[in-house]
Amino acid sequence: MKLYKKEGNILQILSFPNETAEKGDYLLVEDFEARKALIAQVIDVQFASVPGVLEELLRSLPDGGELVQGQDFDPLEIAPHITYIQDASLLICKIRATVENENLSPSSSWLPSRSQSTIKKLPLPTLLKLAKIEGKLPITIGGTRDSSLLTIDASHLDGRLNIITGKKETGKSHLSKLLMTNLVGYKATVVVFDLNGEYVSLGITGDGKRNAQYDKIHVLTPGQNFKVALKQVNLHVLLGILIHALHLPGTSAREFRRIWQSLKEKDMLTLHELGEVIRNWNCNQHVRDALSSRYHALINSGFFTDNSCEATLLEDSFFKTKDYGGAIVVNLKNTSAMDRQIIVEYVLGRIVEQLTSWKLKATFLFAEEAHLYLRETYWDDIVTRMRHFGIFTTFITNQPDTIKENIYRQADNIFLFNFMNEHDLDVVSRAARVDAETVRSIARDLPPHHCLTLGKVVKDFPIVVKVKAIDVKTMGETRLFFKDMN
Amino acid sequence: MQPILLRPIHEETTMAACDTSTIKIGETSTGMLIAVRGASVWKKHKKYTYNRLGPFIFHITEENKNEVYYALQGAYFVSECGRSRFGSVNLLQNPTRLATLLERWLQATLSTTMSDGLVLFDGSLTAGADTPVDQLKAILSSARKSKNIVLAFSKMTNLRINGCLITDVTVQQRAPYLLETSGLRLKPPMVLLGDIYVARLSHENYAFRLDIDKENTHERRIEALEKLVGNDVLSQGYPETLRLAHILCTFTANEVIAMQHFVARKCGLRIITRPDMHRLLFGPFGRGESYS
Repeated sequence: MKLYKKEGNILQILSFPNETAEKGDYLLVEDFEARKALIAQVIDVQFASVPGVLEELLRSLPDGGELVQGQDFDPLEIAPHITYIQDASLLICKIRATVENENLSPSSSWLPSRSQSTIKKLPLPTLLKLAKIEGKLPITIGGTRDSSLLTIDASHLDGRLNIITGKKETGKSHLSKLLMTNLVGYKATVVVFDLNGEYVSLGITGDGKRNAQYDKIHVLTPGQNFKVALKQVNLHVLLGILIHALHLPGTSAREFRRIWQSLKEKDMLTLHELGEVIRNWNCNQHVRDALSSRYHALINSGFFTDNSCEATLLEDSFFKTKDYGGAIVVNLKNTSAMDRQIIVEYVLGRIVEQLTSWKLKATFLFAEEAHLYLRETYWDDIVTRMRHFGIFTTFITNQPDTIKENIYRQADNIFLFNFMNEHDLDVVSRAARVDAETVRSIARDLPPHHCLTLGKVVKDFPIVVKVKAIDVKTMGETRLFFKDMN
Repeated sequence: MQPILLRPIHEETTMAACDTSTIKIGETSTGMLIAVRGASVWKKHKKYTYNRLGPFIFHITEENKNEVYYALQGAYFVSECGRSRFGSVNLLQNPTRLATLLERWLQATLSTTMSDGLVLFDGSLTAGADTPVDQLKAILSSARKSKNIVLAFSKMTNLRINGCLITDVTVQQRAPYLLETSGLRLKPPMVLLGDIYVARLSHENYAFRLDIDKENTHERRIEALEKLVGNDVLSQGYPETLRLAHILCTFTANEVIAMQHFVARKCGLRIITRPDMHRLLFGPFGRGESYS
């Protein structure tokens, strides 16, 4: 390989057919005289602009597009050399760092010698060692192209905002399960908003047996094993549900507050009593109607109960996870859009309560397709306010444009699976921790189950990894009509 | 000059052409490295087929230039008069002469291996400069023996009639047609072994000097041309078979780089770009070798 050009932080490197380098590979450009080296990542592979190639191609097709047949008598065997030159490629590389005295700096301001520099592939284990990516709490994400393992440090997910995105069936949920189980393994509390019931079997192996995490997975299915009594609910949590999920107007909310306080003073906080009081409350008819319709929405959700035996204390689930870690899977499968919002408002409200009262240290929240249940204002809350409470969110989506731009800008880690669509790539490339060229060029060619890992977990060295398999019962499979026909 | 009208004869006729090219791939302290390649193309049953020979790489020095040339000539042409007639060859002309030698060999091969066909040469049927007269005579003779007729097309000519280039002479006639020239003579030692015509074979108004073996009858010459017009593609008035031979033997920049790579690997040579003296001396005012 030969250094050809440097423009800004882009290097162009000439590579010959016997030197295989692919998108995502790292190269070390060493200038021994300067005692420095550049670490550059291949973001595109192009044909080198070899003079005369066009003529070469044209003369093989002069007969009306049909290949002219013939024989070549080439006693010196020059033809392989011609092919060698013709197939030379130009590697477009992004400079990621400078190595000087085994220390890394993000600088790309110096110019290595074009004639004297040596260029070689940088094995990933060496890069990981140089960048000190592995830590005390290792999570092995999977294997890289050079058969080494990519192991990140769980502490780099701590206090961070993460995004897992890619088109359908590329392995997003698989990676989130991997991260979740590892976090739980490190005694972390994880809350999952499980839209399709994919995470309910996290504690069960592929062949149906219990795995090591079985006792740490707590599945809460609203309306079944997850119901709440009004007494358990704080007024501001319920008001949050009424205002944000059920869009109760301000005036009606003020009346509801009065009703609630009156019931609480009488220790009569039940659904039945609430319905009765709303019916008989002395207020404007419109307000009563508004309150009544929201009351029935709460009743119809099946999430609230007056039966104290049925009621689940979310705190109990948190308590179970407190010492040894655990995942609380909120199964939102088969819930309507409105009910989902009610449940999410409730769970988030309670988590914030737990965190503000320091009953819970911090929690990792995994939110799949969050735009389907997260209200507008929560997006900003999550990246600003809630982070300070200790909610560290990982968004998982196949529609990157449903996540607001400021979320991308503030994301600390992005796990990017394949995207073909320009628009999707444009959206993801707005992330602050990565350059648009890298995202566009590498993500487009990622095979299924391969992910481009970006951000703090890889110390800003984008790394392509094949996500390792985990022995967990698969639940999110698409139901097929033709499945058993062949 | 009276035009001779040509009526295309579509009767299946095999035709073949050959061409060679040479290129300097570098200079050494004692001489130069050159490459020679030849190609012969033939059209049969409406299909083109080719044989390409080379590239052959030579290191030519003042010391070995004659040895290389005459060794090759001696090996492929039984000529007793070669060395005595030409004496020592110029180093700079050597690449062209080696290419001509290969071309004559290809022409000789085509002339003997084909029968009842048309053999198209690139250039003229002039002997005496690069080619000994006997050598060319032998090639034409063997072509006649195999019932082939040789048609030699020159892309450029300096021959003039009344001060005007022969290819610039126009007549009020729709192509394809020939113009027969007469009274053209060359200075010794150059010898013409063919009669010279101007061929305008397509409507695109391109004219070429055409040499046809003198030993053929007028009728046979015209018939050969009519078969050519009826059988080959004549884009811009130039036979496609001959064009292909030229295209296939010409070196591209990519091939030159590949050959430089080959000699660097094979002989351990280090390639250094020679400074461009024009640029060096005159800066932006120097045209440089690349423009020459």
